[in-house]
Amino acid sequence: MIDTYWQLLASAEGGHSDGLIDRLKSTIDYLCAPEYFVTLTTLLLIVALLTYKIWTKPKVAGLIFAAFTFFYVASMFDEDFFKIIKKPDNVPITMMIYFTGFCTWLGFRQAAINDDRMKRGEPLLESGADDKVLVWPDLVYTELIALVLCTAFLVVWAIVLKAPLEPPANPTNIPNPSKAPWYFLGLQELLVYFDPWIAGVLLPGLIIVGLIALPYIDKNPRGNGYYTLRERPFVISVFMFGFVIMWCVLIVLGTFLRGPNWNLFGPFETWDPHRPAALLNINVSDVFWVVLPERLALSWWKPGLPDQPFLFLPAYLVREAPGLVLVGGYFFVLPVFLAQTVFRRIYREIGFVRYCVFWLLLSWMFIVPIKMVLRWLFNMKYFVAITEFFFNI
Amino acid sequence: MATVEVVTKVWIAPGCIVCDACETTCPEVFEVQHDNETCVIRPAALDAEFTKPLTKTIKEAAEECPVDVIKFDTIKVEMSDEEAAKIAGGATATPAAAAADAGAESPKAEAADKAAKASPAKPAAPPKPKVVDPAIQALLAATTVRGGHPMINRAVSDLPEPVRQLSKMSPEELPPDGKFQRVLEKAKPKQEEPSRRDVLLGAGWTALALGFGVGPLLGFNRFMAPNVLEQEDPKVRCGSLAKYAAMPPGEINEDFKPVKPSGFWIIREEDRISALSIICTHLGCIPSWLPNDRKFKCPCHGSGFKPDGTNFEGPAPRPLERFRIYLDGDQVIVDRSRKFLAMGPNDTAVWNDPEASIAV
Repeated sequence: MIDTYWQLLASAEGGHSDGLIDRLKSTIDYLCAPEYFVTLTTLLLIVALLTYKIWTKPKVAGLIFAAFTFFYVASMFDEDFFKIIKKPDNVPITMMIYFTGFCTWLGFRQAAINDDRMKRGEPLLESGADDKVLVWPDLVYTELIALVLCTAFLVVWAIVLKAPLEPPANPTNIPNPSKAPWYFLGLQELLVYFDPWIAGVLLPGLIIVGLIALPYIDKNPRGNGYYTLRERPFVISVFMFGFVIMWCVLIVLGTFLRGPNWNLFGPFETWDPHRPAALLNINVSDVFWVVLPERLALSWWKPGLPDQPFLFLPAYLVREAPGLVLVGGYFFVLPVFLAQTVFRRIYREIGFVRYCVFWLLLSWMFIVPIKMVLRWLFNMKYFVAITEFFFNI
Repeated sequence: MATVEVVTKVWIAPGCIVCDACETTCPEVFEVQHDNETCVIRPAALDAEFTKPLTKTIKEAAEECPVDVIKFDTIKVEMSDEEAAKIAGGATATPAAAAADAGAESPKAEAADKAAKASPAKPAAPPKPKVVDPAIQALLAATTVRGGHPMINRAVSDLPEPVRQLSKMSPEELPPDGKFQRVLEKAKPKQEEPSRRDVLLGAGWTALALGFGVGPLLGFNRFMAPNVLEQEDPKVRCGSLAKYAAMPPGEINEDFKPVKPSGFWIIREEDRISALSIICTHLGCIPSWLPNDRKFKCPCHGSGFKPDGTNFEGPAPRPLERFRIYLDGDQVIVDRSRKFLAMGPNDTAVWNDPEASIAV
């Protein structure tokens, strides 16, 4: 029925589909290349963090909400976009976009109010608020109502949209693209850039361990029990980057922009499984031992990967030496440098051990976007590629 | 003036059988604690001034105690006749509250109290001769044997038939002497309900025993079966060589992709045919062959492989694996029990192994 609707609307629209809308769509498709998409969303996040007092005003936020909804609904008239949206698997994505937006607004709205009040020396929103309620009847009734509403919602959802179950796996007929459940699409996106043991085990493990470790690393009592951004700009920014960009945006990317053969498509682009996409990836070792000598054309440095052991180093360590130096510098030298410059105050406040844990978590979080951007821009495959031991970073 | 012997200190020696006799006789001083399996002296009675007026009943209680654990010290004091009579008369000095308390607990004590009130000045009467059943006499004799409850139980079992009958009778049918009833009750074999701790401990030990005992037994069960691996024949007969030799170089034959447990493609290179595993070296998805693009492309994470299986795009770290392939007469046979693993796109020397391909 929805399809018929769409066809009706599309046919009505058909005559007027002028060049403007097409040009708009292709512009959006172009901007949705991942290097722009992730960069732009990150920029958007930075702007949002800087101007949180403006956009959280109910009127401005309502305007943004209306504009986004208009864009979203208008996009549904595009066949390719609508195909993605209407898939029962992807309905939660729409909810996720709205819920993430709403919760972010709610938090930052209260932070903006509190920061204003703090500046004027007035009591905070939370001060004096007695948040104790009676278990009976207040809490139990609230829970009951929530339970009934959620159950009703789930029942209706389960009836209206059929569960996307598919026939048993068949090696001759593989869904293309093969997508994980929507909430794992961010992790599946990581698998494109990292070895399975990093993307599937280490990074999710670090997310969980890191969230558990947060209260032990961050001893600063400011912001406990009340919303504020002015008092905790760094931690909130890092968290928002980790959650909104590295989790939600990657889910959106995996849902809307990943098509057949796991190629990247714009949201308004037809999923053509035969669209050519050249992705010739090279390792850092290739760059250092092959590309660099070729460019320099030195008489004493011939291009070619080293395959002989050097002193006590086996051949693969010689081959991967440049990548190992890069990764080692990032993980072990950069924190020393940062502790003396940018993170000087943090280092002084939290001490050596906490700083090490802090850097472990922060460095693994930021190696993800670093590697993504390097892949998109330079087709960089692995810093260190010791396939002999399945050790690829 | 008369010289009277008064009790200054009372204590309980070890060996109490919790028979209630002392508390029945003198509730002001003795308290039977069934939980602790002993009787104790009430705190107030640790004072000599408190025990003095109760001398008579304390002595009675000590006398009645079947196991003789009630001990006391006495001193001789001189006092007026009136006071002496009071002490000899027993519990008249008992505070009313204590009397009421005692009355609630034991009708006999109340009766004694009433009797004492009725004749306060009566001189100490000689102890009532106890007329009891010889069976109970025998039972009491058994209780005085050193050794506590086990001895009593044994004594009951060794006793003549009338006594055993008595021990089986219900308390209502017993002779009307409360303390002996209690003795008999004590003599009965104890049937305690298991406490929560006992149940939990029992369950814990049982689980442990099951874990350490039955678990290994089940494990050993595996050795009852022959030690063989159930799997498909790794060798697949793929038809005559002519069919594959006729393919143009770079062509892929997908006929054996669905073969279980691991399928393969038969590929034609310039001068040889080989068998490529269909498992992506990145995370084990199954790539699709895209004839127009002339590449294998994995739908899960976008790894791409050239027609000879070399990885060139996406996250796959190694080329597709190759299976052993050989000729049996004219028949091409792929043996999936042996793999040839190239470690990188530039490290494919292992493919030159004579078993990794058939020269055409």
